[in-house]
Amino acid sequence: MKPKENIVVIGGGIAGLEAAGQLLKLGYNPIVIEKQDHLGGHVAEWNRLFPDMTPASEVVKRLIDQSSEANIFLNTEILFINRLKDRYNVMLSNGISIIARILLFTTGFRLFDASKKEEYGYGVYDQVITNRDLEHWFNNGNDKRIDASGMKAVGFVHCVGSRDEKARNPQCSKVCCITAIKQAIEVKQKFPEAMVYCFYMDLRMFGKKYEDFYISAQRDYGIRFIRGRVSEVSENIDGKVIVKAEDTLAGKPVKVTLDLLVLMSGIVCNPDSAKITGMIELPLDTDGFLKSRDNVADITASPKEGVFYAGSCTGPKTVPETLAEARSAALEIHSYLKEK
Amino acid sequence: MDFGFGIAPSSAVNLDSVDLEKFERLHTAEPDVYKCMACGSCSATCIAGRFSGMSVRKVLHCLQRGKEKEAVSMVKGCMLCGKCSMVCPRGINTRHVILSICRIYGEETK
Amino acid sequence: MRERFLTGYNDFVLPFLIGMVFILTYCAIGLIKIILQLPKEDRKRFFISLVNPKMIWKNIKDIFCKCLLHVDIWKRNKLLGYMHSSIAFGWFMLIVIGHIEVFLYVPHRAKLLYFPIFFRYFVAETDSTLGGNFLFFMMDFFLLVILSGILLAMVKRLRSRFFGMRRTTNLSFLDYIGLYSLWCIFPLRLLAEGFTADISGGSFLTKSLNHVFTAFLGNHTNMLPTWWAYSIALGVFFIVLPFTRYMHIPAEILLIPLRNAGIRITNARKGLAKAQVYSCPSCGLCIDACPMGVMKTHIKDTTVYLNRQIRRNNERRIEEISDKCLLCGKCSAICPVGVEGDKLRIAQRSIRKYGISPDYSSVNTDALIAENSFSAPSGSKVLYFAGCMTALTPKIRKSMEKVFVSAGVEYEMMDKDGGICCGRPMLMAGRVHEADEMIAKNMEIIKASGAGTLVLSCPICYKIFKEKYHLEMEVLHHTEYLDRLLKSGKIKVAHCGKRFAYHDPCELGRGCGIYDEPRAVISFAGELVEAEKHHKESICCGGSLGSLTLGFEKREAMVRNALGNLSTGSPDVIVTACPLCKSTFDRYSDKPVEDIAETIANNLTTSTKTL
Repeated sequence: MKPKENIVVIGGGIAGLEAAGQLLKLGYNPIVIEKQDHLGGHVAEWNRLFPDMTPASEVVKRLIDQSSEANIFLNTEILFINRLKDRYNVMLSNGISIIARILLFTTGFRLFDASKKEEYGYGVYDQVITNRDLEHWFNNGNDKRIDASGMKAVGFVHCVGSRDEKARNPQCSKVCCITAIKQAIEVKQKFPEAMVYCFYMDLRMFGKKYEDFYISAQRDYGIRFIRGRVSEVSENIDGKVIVKAEDTLAGKPVKVTLDLLVLMSGIVCNPDSAKITGMIELPLDTDGFLKSRDNVADITASPKEGVFYAGSCTGPKTVPETLAEARSAALEIHSYLKEK
Repeated sequence: MDFGFGIAPSSAVNLDSVDLEKFERLHTAEPDVYKCMACGSCSATCIAGRFSGMSVRKVLHCLQRGKEKEAVSMVKGCMLCGKCSMVCPRGINTRHVILSICRIYGEETK
Repeated sequence: MRERFLTGYNDFVLPFLIGMVFILTYCAIGLIKIILQLPKEDRKRFFISLVNPKMIWKNIKDIFCKCLLHVDIWKRNKLLGYMHSSIAFGWFMLIVIGHIEVFLYVPHRAKLLYFPIFFRYFVAETDSTLGGNFLFFMMDFFLLVILSGILLAMVKRLRSRFFGMRRTTNLSFLDYIGLYSLWCIFPLRLLAEGFTADISGGSFLTKSLNHVFTAFLGNHTNMLPTWWAYSIALGVFFIVLPFTRYMHIPAEILLIPLRNAGIRITNARKGLAKAQVYSCPSCGLCIDACPMGVMKTHIKDTTVYLNRQIRRNNERRIEEISDKCLLCGKCSAICPVGVEGDKLRIAQRSIRKYGISPDYSSVNTDALIAENSFSAPSGSKVLYFAGCMTALTPKIRKSMEKVFVSAGVEYEMMDKDGGICCGRPMLMAGRVHEADEMIAKNMEIIKASGAGTLVLSCPICYKIFKEKYHLEMEVLHHTEYLDRLLKSGKIKVAHCGKRFAYHDPCELGRGCGIYDEPRAVISFAGELVEAEKHHKESICCGGSLGSLTLGFEKREAMVRNALGNLSTGSPDVIVTACPLCKSTFDRYSDKPVEDIAETIANNLTTSTKTL
């Protein structure tokens, strides 16, 4: 019997797992390479997902189950890739080398390092955390910075490290608006007495049921939306943080004292993927993400023969978008190999 | 004919009658003026704002809506410290915008 | 020696004579004009300095060292130094020795301007004396020195890289005329004196030339045209001189005593500014020094071109060049003649007309004083003024608070809830009067605090506080203050073993001359590694408020270049002492960037002192 065709899937996040599952079904041998010690990437660190508050762990578990037949290397990095005649030789940090005709990049994104925006005080003031820190707290209830006893006011800052040329990321990260609203609701559920503020520039509620979510946040939870970007955060004598912004709808500066400030760190291209793309000279798009053959019709194909993309390595994406793209990439790979 | 009462001037902005000639000159001097997305960072960080109501965002907005007098009175409070240019997410050279406004729009502005 | 011609005159001296009279008249008028343009106070100061024995000596010494020996260029680059001093000093010595010869042999001709220059043509050797031989030898020696300098100058024009210069100035048309006539003068002189060497004597150079090329040089019919050519070269050089970069030769002689008298630029185009502009030799050292030079598009915006455009009164370009500059002051720091590119630009900005003038009458200092609720005045109290920019880098402020607490000093924060700008950014934009208003308001608040020491974290503030604020208290930048606390043992830090590269902020280093304190402070906490360019050669971070027109995206290349410079010693951390440098570097650096206050606060060992 002919051995199954190897397909190297770079990254074991939800895109990599979904693609691996689909490729298994199509009769290939996907080899998933994951740098970290767990699968599921960012989603595995999340608590619940919008818009239906699905537990993230369920999504990840289902994906792991359906790809369990695949070869999976955890804690493994790619040392180098070189191009042989019509295939690629991938050398891994565990000493294994793989020859494959197909590489699938599912390298994903990285959350913007909020400490780079020093004026927001992440890493300076104890009461300033990020969206990821909050999800961790939802998961394990363990964060010294969050004092559950006296939570009177909580603020969410949208667009931290997105739509910001100073942070060198002018792109909209797409998911933070809805994430902020989801987290604001969750915080309000935990602390019904607390005032919850969202400081936004624009609310981009583009997805299925997002607007419902927004309405619910306003109507059912009384979350205060302030249209103005936070410019600086300071600390008062009691150790609370003071946020300064302009309420652009009133045309007046606003100042508010908070017990907790959550920064919605944006999505930036994973710097590790830039390292790997350098090995086989894959181009980056002007937004810093991997460049597809065509941003409308051919988003999962790279300009290089045999190299495919899925998920947020080509730009910020939601979970359903990522999964759909992973399936589409698997199908694309299948038809590519059929034609050969 | 005078009926002894007038109609209060409309507070609505009539875009048809806004003269943007000076704003175009400002745009030539500093193309960045079109980049403002009205996020308000500049106003929030402004050290002069608390004394004079200065707000770069509002100034740019007023100028584009023909409210030049309002804009000029705000600009007068600017101390040119440059904090707004530091925080602007669109990287607008606000100090040059302000200095250019000071040159293009005179005190006699209506 | 005897004279060959009774008249002591030949028509060929005319081009030289016309040139000489022209240039002397031009310079005399220029000199009077510049002196008259000085403000009354400055003029008085200048005249007094000219008769002060100490200053006379300093002026003579400086003129000798700078204009003739070019000591500053020697220090930077030996080859370039030799090139300049060989021509300048060599020519000077030729003139001096020429005059000595005239005084010795034909003293009655000393009043003729041209006689020492064309001495060899007019005299014939009668007998050779030891003294004569010595003078002849000196003449040939210095001529050789000059010729070697001219040769180097020619090489430099073709291959500036041999001289360590990446880029040089593009010369104007008249500059080329001046350059070629200058290059011609000395070879022609050699040739001319070669002709007359068998008549009027010579030494190893001219005599040997005459012997070797007897067939040509022995033929005296060729003699007169060569002397004509020599004279024409001189004449052309003198006539074009005022319109070329060579104007720096006379101008610098005026600039040195003006500077020594302590005169500052008060007018954008007149007085000292004019003297500086004309003193620019267009050497182009500022091109390589300019931090904007990393982008080719900015090369024509360097100080050398500003000077050229001011001389041409090209207002559009003057405005462009003046407004773009970051005012980092590096061109001024390395300028061999002392043109102050940054101050010159601020002066250009100051003559701009604005239709709107700021009005700070709404700034109520009483309310601000009340808001600060200062404690009772005390000489030991420290007032901390973080500055506007530090509001965006809260780590600096927090670190300073930690240091104050650790040192057990009584301190108060002046602008915790925002204050008034120091005025320096306004001053940089050339709006002096507006800056003064802010200074006055800030002074009121500071005085009300009754503190003995004012500590600042921002070098931009620090510079204007040092220069324009007249406070009866000590004003320190936090680098100086930390240095003092560490040296007196009031705070103690652990040596963390990290390698720190220190970036000299423009306003602190070149602006205020603070170089040693920050380095001493860093050495307490770790190992100091120097950047490739440091101290007064440090490269601006690119974030400077000095530039009015440089947009954000145009600065990236400069920031990266400055970061590259800092990374040469492969440091673990980049340390600076300016909130603006910090934010700018942090945006692009892959290494951690911290303020010196953070470095110290992070490594404080718990003090036993109680508050």
